[in-house]
Amino acid sequence: MDGVHDMGGMHGFGPVPIEVDEPLYYEAWEGRVAAITRRMMANSTVDRFRYTIEQMPPAEYLDSRYYERWLWAAERLADEPDIIERMAAAPTPPPVGEPASAPRFAPGQRVRVGNPVTASHTRVPRYIRTRQGTVVSRSSIWPHPTESAATGRYGATEQVYSVAFDGRDLFGPAADHVVVVDVWERDLEEAS
Amino acid sequence: MTQLTPEQRAEVLERHLHEHGHIDPDRIDDAVAARERADGPSPALGARIVARAWTDPDFKARLLADGTATVSELANQTVPISVLEDTTDRHHVIVCTLCSCYPGGVLGDPPTWYKSFEYRSRVVREPRAVLAEFGMDVDDGVELRVVDSTSEQRYLVLPLRPEGTDGWTAEQLAALVTRDSMIGTGRPLAP
Repeated sequence: MDGVHDMGGMHGFGPVPIEVDEPLYYEAWEGRVAAITRRMMANSTVDRFRYTIEQMPPAEYLDSRYYERWLWAAERLADEPDIIERMAAAPTPPPVGEPASAPRFAPGQRVRVGNPVTASHTRVPRYIRTRQGTVVSRSSIWPHPTESAATGRYGATEQVYSVAFDGRDLFGPAADHVVVVDVWERDLEEAS
Repeated sequence: MTQLTPEQRAEVLERHLHEHGHIDPDRIDDAVAARERADGPSPALGARIVARAWTDPDFKARLLADGTATVSELANQTVPISVLEDTTDRHHVIVCTLCSCYPGGVLGDPPTWYKSFEYRSRVVREPRAVLAEFGMDVDDGVELRVVDSTSEQRYLVLPLRPEGTDGWTAEQLAALVTRDSMIGTGRPLAP
């Protein structure tokens, strides 16, 4: 979804607030909410949790501290019957193993990122959509996040690629760096 | 009705889940304590891995070829991890623009700045300006690679070994490895 969480490349934010020796939790409730949320999600998917946070109204998202966003999501997930019913079960690890089909792309190959714009969950950030890059590696194998977010269960594994983009193609001629992003196979196509 | 504080809302959530038998507060206490203990993943674990890679070529080769299996020899990893080697020509810096993905299985929980909107939005667009805020100057001739952690694979930077440390033991070297040097927003300490 095109939410405010997808902030890579946005203008307008100021200097990075670099704290030194900050506490793990600023207030005790943060640690409890983190632990409760991990327990709630043990039999669901991390994508479902992320997708819930992404649905915070933008102004509220930007006005909240980190664990306030977790709290917002946990309050909503606590009302989801399947999350609650599965809490008692032993945690289920995500599937491993090779995808059903051979990888479509190889390191060094030019690829174009698709434009999977829907209201559902995606891990394709806006700043790389429709852009061309070069496959660096077949980086990992993991279920696709859109399904995992929608169903709360991990589906079949899929090839994930690390793709390198010339900064100038993403952010204009002043850029002099490379950005590497992990993209699932179905979100890539051959560059024309 | 007055608005509840986050602390009050957290209490309501916990009480609701407890009353319905979904959580045991004692186990939540234990989970919080475990997170706060120093014997789990931490920058010290990352420093040991980096220092060993600097002193043990076979370990380094395995670490770069299969980060997940090699790191798991020291600490079990629940998601894949890849180690990115800095060279004199290339410097890596990691980010998660979409949320807060971080090599937590090695370094523990991320610092607040890593989760900040400022870092997430800016480091992919203007990494040199962001690194300057950390006091880091990257030479123009060095390729800067910003790695956005959009999948479940996590990234850890293997920084350049500081000059002037010939003959140092892995233990001595580990003391030079900072958390930020394994994220790419800093360098190891000078000897």
